[in-house]
Amino acid sequence: MPQAGNEAVVKTELLTKKYGEFVALDQLSIEVKRGQILGFIGPNGAGKTTTIKILVGLSKPTSGVAQIAGVDCATGGKQIKRLVGYMPDKFGSYDNMRVREYLDFFGAAYGIPRAKRKSRIDEVLEIAQATYMQDRFVESLSHGMQQRVGIARIMLHDPEVLILDEPANGLDPQARIEMRTMLLRLAAQGKTLIVTSHILPELSRICDTVAIVTGGKLRAFGSLDEVMRDLCPRRSYEIQLLSSNDVGRAESVLKDWCLPDETLESSAAESLLRFPTQRSEAELAEGLRLLIQAGVPVVQYREVASDLEDAFLRVAKEHSSVA
Amino acid sequence: MDNPVLRRELMERLRSTKTIASLLAVAVVTSALVLLRWPSNATVDLVSQGAMEVYQPLAWGIAMAIVMLVPAFPATSIVRERQRGTLAMLLHSPLGRLSIWSGKFFGNLTLMIVLIAGSIPAMAACYSMGGASLFQQILPLYVVFLMMAVLYTSVGLWVSSYQTSADASLRWTYAAVIGLAALSMAPNIVLAGKNNWKTRVAEKLSYVSPIPALSQLTSSNDISLQAIRGKATSQFLLSAGGLSLILTLLTLRRLHPSLLDVSRSAGKVTEQRSSAMQWFRRFTFLVDPDRRKSGIPPLINPVMVKEFRTRKFGRLHWLLRLVAACAVISLGLTVVAASGTVSWGVERIAAVMVLLQLALLLLLGPSLASGLVAGEIESGGWQLLRATPLSATKILSGKLMSVIWTMLLILMATLPGYIVMIYIQPAMTVQVQKVLISLAISALLVVTVTACISSFAKKTAVATATSYGILFTLFAGTLLVWLARGKPFGKQFVENALILNPAAAALAEMRMPGMEDLNLTPIAWWIGLGMSFVAMVILSVRTWRLTCPD
Repeated sequence: MPQAGNEAVVKTELLTKKYGEFVALDQLSIEVKRGQILGFIGPNGAGKTTTIKILVGLSKPTSGVAQIAGVDCATGGKQIKRLVGYMPDKFGSYDNMRVREYLDFFGAAYGIPRAKRKSRIDEVLEIAQATYMQDRFVESLSHGMQQRVGIARIMLHDPEVLILDEPANGLDPQARIEMRTMLLRLAAQGKTLIVTSHILPELSRICDTVAIVTGGKLRAFGSLDEVMRDLCPRRSYEIQLLSSNDVGRAESVLKDWCLPDETLESSAAESLLRFPTQRSEAELAEGLRLLIQAGVPVVQYREVASDLEDAFLRVAKEHSSVA
Repeated sequence: MDNPVLRRELMERLRSTKTIASLLAVAVVTSALVLLRWPSNATVDLVSQGAMEVYQPLAWGIAMAIVMLVPAFPATSIVRERQRGTLAMLLHSPLGRLSIWSGKFFGNLTLMIVLIAGSIPAMAACYSMGGASLFQQILPLYVVFLMMAVLYTSVGLWVSSYQTSADASLRWTYAAVIGLAALSMAPNIVLAGKNNWKTRVAEKLSYVSPIPALSQLTSSNDISLQAIRGKATSQFLLSAGGLSLILTLLTLRRLHPSLLDVSRSAGKVTEQRSSAMQWFRRFTFLVDPDRRKSGIPPLINPVMVKEFRTRKFGRLHWLLRLVAACAVISLGLTVVAASGTVSWGVERIAAVMVLLQLALLLLLGPSLASGLVAGEIESGGWQLLRATPLSATKILSGKLMSVIWTMLLILMATLPGYIVMIYIQPAMTVQVQKVLISLAISALLVVTVTACISSFAKKTAVATATSYGILFTLFAGTLLVWLARGKPFGKQFVENALILNPAAAALAEMRMPGMEDLNLTPIAWWIGLGMSFVAMVILSVRTWRLTCPD
């Protein structure tokens, strides 16, 4: 079984894809190490699926290099298909086919000998916790069940890299938690995973590396901590007041205290004030002291933890303002 | 136009380029027929021969267009709403089931009336040439056309309300329409000349078909139809009207929220049933589709196995039933001919067998092959296949072989009948061989053309409808030209049209009445093989391109 290490299993260098004049992907360079989970984030049309298609050998780059385990994705053909397990956002079901028959077909398509195939199907059904649905028709399965069968399918030929396009899309909270656990288990087995998702809190819980793309360009790349540090260097503070009538008073107290780059945002409906800051704890305590001194009833004075969603929104905002 | 369903249906159809193309096709073809026989000299045609030469093929041509075009839209109408999830919205809206049905029914009917109206200028020209009576022929003919449109629209909507996929709905609708239009005539033709209750039932059944009515209104001279065509028009209008009404009531009954209240299949396998049930299933199915399958054997193309397993119709137990039915019918026909039960010669029986086989090939071929590529693209399976190490050649060969084996089984099923025929009349050995070659080429043409169309379509239903249209034109259209031999088409023109149709070569080889003087082999074989080869090359290139990285 492959072990987690420093060796880059997935690597792209200045990867570019153009459709005529339209640049779908612009000089993307990333590296994913063995056993890592890369969260690939971006709005619709950002170039995520284009990158994935190049990595799985379904699309050719206009320029640049994409490699998986040292094999070139553009020329590697069959080798790449054996190295990668690809789960597209659309399940790809067949009518009148039971789950076991479905897996048997893909096992045969990957050239797994018949004698081994049966036990391998049992194994992957076990990994995906889908053994109980082996006799069900694939088209009659719920979305969550189909995603499990999809995971079982991509595990059949024991690939080194698993690429999953929006695996959590349309899943209920319970199924999402199960999917998360399953992906973490696969990474623990030494599989390298690339996962795209719109559900960013989900990604932040499983990914160790994050790549944010917008408009075909890589905007941020690195470990989750690095990306958060780079994109959200300033903390966000919230002041919860007793009633909405206190908002105006609190604003006038803090107006002179706030620095020019600390834009004070207020929400009367929520009886809330919010401001971004880089000040120390002691300096922030001064703000609280001013409010109490002025007789403003403060219920809570707290730091709001930034998450991947904030980082993504920040990048998306910057990109749209540049555009 | 208060009905929002009707408004939407009409808008959707009239905005489609296919509708405009169909309208233009009707106008161009009917005008061309008139131009062929428009008087160009000063000679007076006292018996109006020219007008009748145009009127007859025109009437049959429009009738064939109705059979081909009318079922296509209603067959997918309700099932598509169901697939898109809009049927639930419609059923939940204050619109009653009658409004939903009438919107769809009149939407299709209006469009068909517009299409049929495209032939009015040509028909008016026939009338102005003299010969065709306005009140005794032309007007009743249009009433028959209208009733055909009503009946086939009702059939399409009814079938559509039962199906869960658009292509299955198209397949069953075309089967039902062909059954009503042509096969309903068969018992009457077989039992003709007797006077008992069976003959009377067969005669009543034949009135569901528009053929006797059309024959009456075009004054055709087919002897087999003479007995029933005296009152054929009124009988057809009554039968078709009654049947349409029954189908409408059945469709209205189906348009209920319970239509969507279907649980997901539990997927029970035979091994989970009682041993008595397991034995019963083994006896009734021979090859039980619900038995737990063993893995795909080595050296067998997995794509072919997958294709067999994913079909509802076309799985082995269905094929065995079909083959058994074909074998029994062909043997029965041959025995009937041999024992002199009917006064037909062996040639006529053979022609019926060829026609039945052709109908099966035409009906089953497109329904099996139209989803080969389009179905994969539609379901998202193509993306998965591309991601596997399977080559384009292996994917294509697996898919084609799954259909070719089925077609071969259908062809082989009638062999016992032909063997008995050769036993009765040994001189027919070479003829039978030529017929089988012609039918094999026809099957190949059906498969390759349909698969080729499928590789260009993104939806199976589109590929199915297009394939039926093209293949019906090729196989039935050329026979229609033959029906109009000498009026207005000359022998050379008829022969040129028929060499495009390898099934016509089979009929000519069997010396079918009216085809005795035609010599279509081997040229029809070469042309059939050539067309198949071209379709195969296009299909291969297209499949290769679809499997290549973008």
